[in-house]
Amino acid sequence: MSPGQASARPRTNRLAGLARRGGSFLLDWMVWGYVAYGVMYLLNHYWYTRLPEHWYDTLRLPSWGWPVVVLATLEMAVWTRSLGRSLGQRAVGVALGPAAGGRLGLGRRVLRGILWHVTLPLAPVWIAQGGEPYHDRLSGSGLRPVVPDPERPARRALLTQWGIVSVLLGLLTLWVGWLIVGINIQVLIRRAPQAGRIWRDMLRPDFRYFTAPDPVFELRALRYSILDLTVVTVFMALVATVLGAAVAFPLSFFGARNVMGFGPVGWVTYAVVRGFFNVFRSIETIIWASIFAIWVGYGTVLAGILALTVHTVAALGKLYSEQVEGVAPGPLEAVWAAGGSRVQVVRHAVIPQVLPSFWAFTLYRWDINVRMSTVIALVGGGGIGDMLFYYKNQGDWPKVGAVVMVIVAVVWAMDYLSGRLRERIA
Amino acid sequence: MANPYLVVDNLTKVYERGQVLALRDLSFSVAKGEFLVVIGLSGSGKSTLLRCINRLIEPTRGRIWLDGTDVTRLSPARMRRVRRKIGMIFQQFNLVDRSTAIGNVLTGRLGYLPGWRALLGWFPKADREKALANLERVGLRDKAYVRVDQLSGGQRQRVGIARALMQDPDLLLADEPVSALDPATSHSVMQYLEQMNRQDGVTVIASLHFLSLARRYGTRIIALKDGQLVFDGPPTAIDNAKFKEIYGEDAEEVEVR
Repeated sequence: MSPGQASARPRTNRLAGLARRGGSFLLDWMVWGYVAYGVMYLLNHYWYTRLPEHWYDTLRLPSWGWPVVVLATLEMAVWTRSLGRSLGQRAVGVALGPAAGGRLGLGRRVLRGILWHVTLPLAPVWIAQGGEPYHDRLSGSGLRPVVPDPERPARRALLTQWGIVSVLLGLLTLWVGWLIVGINIQVLIRRAPQAGRIWRDMLRPDFRYFTAPDPVFELRALRYSILDLTVVTVFMALVATVLGAAVAFPLSFFGARNVMGFGPVGWVTYAVVRGFFNVFRSIETIIWASIFAIWVGYGTVLAGILALTVHTVAALGKLYSEQVEGVAPGPLEAVWAAGGSRVQVVRHAVIPQVLPSFWAFTLYRWDINVRMSTVIALVGGGGIGDMLFYYKNQGDWPKVGAVVMVIVAVVWAMDYLSGRLRERIA
Repeated sequence: MANPYLVVDNLTKVYERGQVLALRDLSFSVAKGEFLVVIGLSGSGKSTLLRCINRLIEPTRGRIWLDGTDVTRLSPARMRRVRRKIGMIFQQFNLVDRSTAIGNVLTGRLGYLPGWRALLGWFPKADREKALANLERVGLRDKAYVRVDQLSGGQRQRVGIARALMQDPDLLLADEPVSALDPATSHSVMQYLEQMNRQDGVTVIASLHFLSLARRYGTRIIALKDGQLVFDGPPTAIDNAKFKEIYGEDAEEVEVR
């Protein structure tokens, strides 16, 4: 090893050590900041509801409040890091231990906490010099990586400080979460009779316009029956699934590490394709539908098909790519060894392995698309949903019931059919 | 050796940014028609050596001359043409389990197929007949249209051999071809390799675990230890002392009959 390398190594180690120490400290501080937020929220909520006069409308504090919160959380972080094993220390896998043999008693732990405050002004010196910080050195302690003792069981998580803090954090989150969401069971019960009327109406479905077109309901001057629009919807889903799968199939190989190799071109292609899948997949079908409704026409079948297709490409592409990455590497190696090209490797070693799961995913996607296509009409995607929302807005609940029942029947049938087919393939 | 067929010259392979030295300055040569057996402990570099020869693994340093061409210098396209003539058999068979035996055997022909035909999977009639003939040769004609995952280990390896035969190879690389098989099946597979070597004049380089198999089938043995050549000679030259040197002091020889 050259001298240059010898000196470079401890330097990166020291920086990494500093980053770990700083990161875990920051995490502890954030944990207590979060606790402070939760406590303030609870105080606010209960004081506000109990006292007629406003305590504080929202999380507003007097001018001296914020420094107090910052300092208090900082203190909590310092003391939890000294007195036991904090969550932040646990996160980076270190614990406070004695510098030289023996146990680190409470006395030295308290001493370390006090020394932290005393030696705080010396922190820049320590950071510049490297080595252990002064509060560790003077109290004879240090942060050490935790190596589990194979001969001794680990302490029960709930008996450790970080375990207790984690549980408290969880409980606080649930409590505050419950209040923020404002779950109101009273309303649910009090207004049940109104909902009951709707339920009763819907359970007496009006199938008058099942096959005969409804004279009142029309889309772009054309009249439709429930059956007409159901057929339209199922075919919308079918066309979108076929189109989406056809685009996703070739793309998926470009989004698979093992096919693209590790050259720079492979990396870029992989990143671009995977990025496309992830971004387009995270935009829900209903959002795509509202975009295409503006683009190609509100309430048109085309808008719905385009929305379903785009989302199908991204969702199936990702699933396909992951399947491709999961194939057994042996057959690929064999085709390479026989003088095959990359295309031949894909065609004769990858595709035979992934085809069954590709079929299964595609059928599953068709299933999803049938369900999605019933609601995209809400934002102008067309299909049976148009009728559903029309009757709903009219308050014509028996007809809503009829449409819903048809949707349920279709979705259930599709689910059953694709399930059976998938069973066969697997 | 008057005219060596394969020359490995100072071959070195380093893995993981210099962390693992798989092969160190390995040099040897192989004459046409030899049955060379590579022995050594697991991790001694046998698989790496075989894969460097057909460049499934890129060598870090050194040269490999095959029939007068330096394969380490070839472009990917030229390398594919060279690979057509190098058959390979694998420890884990490397077959597509969901395909039929004949489907797997036909992939041995891919190097000879124009791109569009391979893309559509349309193999010429001659290739199909050749595949059936090769399956016949390894005694699996009756299993031609059976999915490979229905076959036993020995049968699968014979499919692998038939696939290698499709290439009309000049050189056969066998990477621990019988490690996943039981002793009786091992001999049947090894005999097919021997037959290829004797009848078709294919030069064979096989890595093996069992010394008894190496002695029985090899015309020459080389031994690797930590990526270095520790023995090169006829099978009879490996005595007990040499054995201990290759496999370590504690090793006991196990016979496969």
